[in-house]
Amino acid sequence: MSKPTSISGRLLRLVLGVLTAVLLLLGLFSFMKSYQELQELADGRLAQSARTLQVLIENGANTSLAKGDLRSIMVPSSSEVPNVRTYQAEVGFQVYDQSGKLLLSTMNLATLPPALTTDAGYKNLQQGRHRWRLFTQPADANHLIIRTGERNDSRRDIMRALWIEHGVPLLFVLPLLAWLMSWAIKRGLSPLRQLADLLSKREPGSRAPVQLDQPPRELQPVVEALNAQLQTLEDALERERRFSADVAHELRTPISSAMVNIDNAEATLDSGDARMAMHGARDSLIHLARRVEQLLALARIDSAIGNTQYVDLVALAGDVIEELAPTIAASHVDMSVAFSDDPIRVQGHEAALGALLRNLIENALRHIPSGGQVQLSITQQDVSTHIDVIDDGEGIPAERREAVFARFHRETDSRGEGYGLGLSIVQRAARLHDAQVELLDSPLGRGLRVHVPLPQGRATSRIPASMP
Amino acid sequence: MPTAVLEPVVHITLVEDDLQLGAAIDSALQRLGYAVTWLRDGRSAMEAMRDESADLVLLDLGLPGKDGLEVLREARNRNIRTPVLVMSARDALPARISGLDAGADDYLIKPFHVDELAARIRSLTRRMHGLADNRIEVGALRIDLGEVTVTYHDQPVDLTRREFALLQALMERAGRLVRREQLKNALYGLDRDVGDGALEVLVHGLRRKVGTDTIRTVRGFGYMIPRNIT
Repeated sequence: MSKPTSISGRLLRLVLGVLTAVLLLLGLFSFMKSYQELQELADGRLAQSARTLQVLIENGANTSLAKGDLRSIMVPSSSEVPNVRTYQAEVGFQVYDQSGKLLLSTMNLATLPPALTTDAGYKNLQQGRHRWRLFTQPADANHLIIRTGERNDSRRDIMRALWIEHGVPLLFVLPLLAWLMSWAIKRGLSPLRQLADLLSKREPGSRAPVQLDQPPRELQPVVEALNAQLQTLEDALERERRFSADVAHELRTPISSAMVNIDNAEATLDSGDARMAMHGARDSLIHLARRVEQLLALARIDSAIGNTQYVDLVALAGDVIEELAPTIAASHVDMSVAFSDDPIRVQGHEAALGALLRNLIENALRHIPSGGQVQLSITQQDVSTHIDVIDDGEGIPAERREAVFARFHRETDSRGEGYGLGLSIVQRAARLHDAQVELLDSPLGRGLRVHVPLPQGRATSRIPASMP
Repeated sequence: MPTAVLEPVVHITLVEDDLQLGAAIDSALQRLGYAVTWLRDGRSAMEAMRDESADLVLLDLGLPGKDGLEVLREARNRNIRTPVLVMSARDALPARISGLDAGADDYLIKPFHVDELAARIRSLTRRMHGLADNRIEVGALRIDLGEVTVTYHDQPVDLTRREFALLQALMERAGRLVRREQLKNALYGLDRDVGDGALEVLVHGLRRKVGTDTIRTVRGFGYMIPRNIT
């Protein structure tokens, strides 16, 4: 079986996924926007400085520059000036005359290829280790060509700072969101947990509907459908129980009157043959009565759910043995019991446990030849109670032990009595109490040991599995 | 085999709603020499109990009109002490126990044999009549509680006082298992703590006088004299 999925886990994952995606998109969008603004701002500044330079140089220093004897005056760049501020851009400029002759240049731009008139506008250029953003103010009407440049890494620094500004808060916000979300989801799903609690605590067969304090609209149909199903199921079980009880009465009464009538007839008969026949009829009737009792026990066990109680196995076994006295008297078997004088309590169904003990003992008594032994023991160990019935009869070969649990299987022996029905009652009663019936070799050398380990003190309240 | 009942005639009120079963039991009881009044519902059963005309009431539990257990409870509440033998078609043990708690003197589970019914009735009416019916007979074994004598295959058997008490306890409940505790209480009283060994020795001694197969043992539980002994 795969691990069950959790609704709250699923919700949390989905909500967090959606949130993360939206936040990332938002962040990316605002970053792109900022990047674009920054580029435009910086480009604008670059163009503005070019024009300012042009005006300054043409109107202020034009005498010497016009003469063309100021060739390659090198101006130190900002990186060579101490105390620069963060994000202070590494900038530079160049001045050319109309013919493209370099008149003036900052040192950081000295090695650039010469600007052509066709270079007008913005341009990216790789220069050594750095990328430069260049703006060329074209020459027009006897003006000088001015080229301004800004090293890209300063912009990159600003972008990195922007990245961090947008990204780092997300790193803190997402886990916080996850934590808050999981709390919120847990709270939101509390009616579901309440429903699960109610269902797990519900005593089967209680017939009380499942009721939530304030059922949310989404759970209302679930609860209603559940209650309808439970109602149907419990009605069916109740009908089956009533039916069993009715059938019990309907079958036992005619059997009882037939028995009394046969006894009456036998008492007044003179002929030996007729008495023999009556005797046979009575034996058949006893057999029929026993079969009916077994079928009823099986039906009752199959419809037994809920209503477990503490049952004293010692007292119950005593009652069963007293009740089986006629069978014990008729069987000529050496019967012995071993259990404590103190009560041994297990939680379970009294009728089912009674049927279990009765059929265990009865089966043994009926399958042991005259002079054999049958031993019943009930022992308590720390966590379980063990019921053992041991005999020294013919036993059941190991390879056939599995088959004898079939409902109407007959493991035939010299007396032609079937093990099957009795053993399947034992098995179903055991299963009702979370126990498995084990067929083992008898410690008496030959025969069978039927071992039923009952888990101690466990409330069993589940519906038995459907018929094999 | 049930013996004929000597006088006085014992009056039995049979309460059974099923016509066939009622008729069968009625005729069985008459054959055994009892005077029988057969009633078919709980209300008339209650009236009959109130009259206290019967020596014993044979009561079915599942009755129309008024449930058998209710009849029994009400009668006991009214301090009516007539012995009641319950015939229970109820299968669960708790129902039987509640039958006894409600004041039944004994119970029979359907279906039952006439022999068993007769034995239970005799056991209940013997108590009632005191010395009037002192003899119990099971197979070839006969015990006279008044005369304090025992015969086995018509031969007198010499028993000690304790052996006789043990045999009496088993004979009174012939066909049923009598628990060790019950026997010890009957023999030694409640206050004496007697080991199982003493009881075993006593049973061993008794067996030698009335036949080994007469007394059956369920070791660790109790003893029984089966009804079909020879």
